Amino acid sequence: MDVELDDAELVRRIGAGTGREAEAELFHRLAPRIRLYGLRHLRNAAAAEDLAQNVMITTIEALRAGRLREPEKLVSFVLGTCRMTVLELRRGGQRKERLLERFGADMLAPVQPAMPRVDEEKLRRCVQNLSERERAVVVLTFYDERTGADLARFLGVSEANVRVIRHRAIHGLRQCMGVAA
Amino acid sequence: MNCQNPIDAAILADYWLGVMTEPEEERVELHLLACDACGERLREVIALGEGVRRLARAGSLRMVVSESFLRRAAEEGLRVREYAPPTGGGVACTVTAEDDILIGRLAVNLRNAGRVDLSICDERGIEQSRMRDIPVDSEASSVVYQESITFAKAMPDNKMIARLITVDAAGGERLLGEYLFNHTRSMPGPGV
Repeated sequence: MDVELDDAELVRRIGAGTGREAEAELFHRLAPRIRLYGLRHLRNAAAAEDLAQNVMITTIEALRAGRLREPEKLVSFVLGTCRMTVLELRRGGQRKERLLERFGADMLAPVQPAMPRVDEEKLRRCVQNLSERERAVVVLTFYDERTGADLARFLGVSEANVRVIRHRAIHGLRQCMGVAA
Repeated sequence: MNCQNPIDAAILADYWLGVMTEPEEERVELHLLACDACGERLREVIALGEGVRRLARAGSLRMVVSESFLRRAAEEGLRVREYAPPTGGGVACTVTAEDDILIGRLAVNLRNAGRVDLSICDERGIEQSRMRDIPVDSEASSVVYQESITFAKAMPDNKMIARLITVDAAGGERLLGEYLFNHTRSMPGPGV
């Protein structure tokens, strides 16, 4: 689009039936965000991509039909659709092939912003430079997927303290890696 | 990509790890569905977490680990080589190309211990490095120490002494246990 429109204006244009371009723009904006939601809840890149496509189809259908009365509530609508679709995907309910037949492959082309690249040797040094407890918390959290109570017992501190240590470690690592805290 | 009200990276880590309450999580998700700048920060956090995960799998960190860490490593098919010298005793040890994780299980009574440090010394007992305030479970009967497998695979024959020391508030130290690791190199390379 020549002029960047806000989401609500895109919603209005799609609802007015004049928005093929607006649909593409909305897809371009929202699909990567939905994919992140999918990564968080499905822990699988392919499933997250399926989620993004399913949610966008449902959203655009709803917008075309004028079912979103308040365009400003687009994000809430999308979040609700994400939740429902995650449940459906977990049940294996929707098939990607069916969606491809209805909407075409162009519209559903994967939108996958690359994950930032991490310098692993630098990260190793940064992790090694953390305090013993900070290192234990980040490693056991990200590798062993231990949270709260387990880590609190291992460290002999409260769960609230584990959170404080984890936050300090994340900030320390980001600073050491040269990204803003 | 600008954000007027950016979400802190540590909060995004909480979100990624699923340790938020439902209302907190909903607030973050509504923001992320409208904000690419915070989405990018979340990607950085995810990449950082994945990097830490790979480092842990590589066994290249020198640190104290938990029993559940060892269980996870075994479940993932990693080969864990473990030595358990008695308190005041020693053990002959090595590491092979097939090993992924190298563990020293240091038997110790941690009841009434406050802060615990792990001191790594050369064969003369001179401290080379110290891990201060290591995580310890006062109910456990050992400290599980992971040596960097990368370091160990490159190490020539040598003797290493590990000491567990409790440190009181005034800085006074008391030895909890001493352990000798008599390492023989079994892989080709310099120093054999």
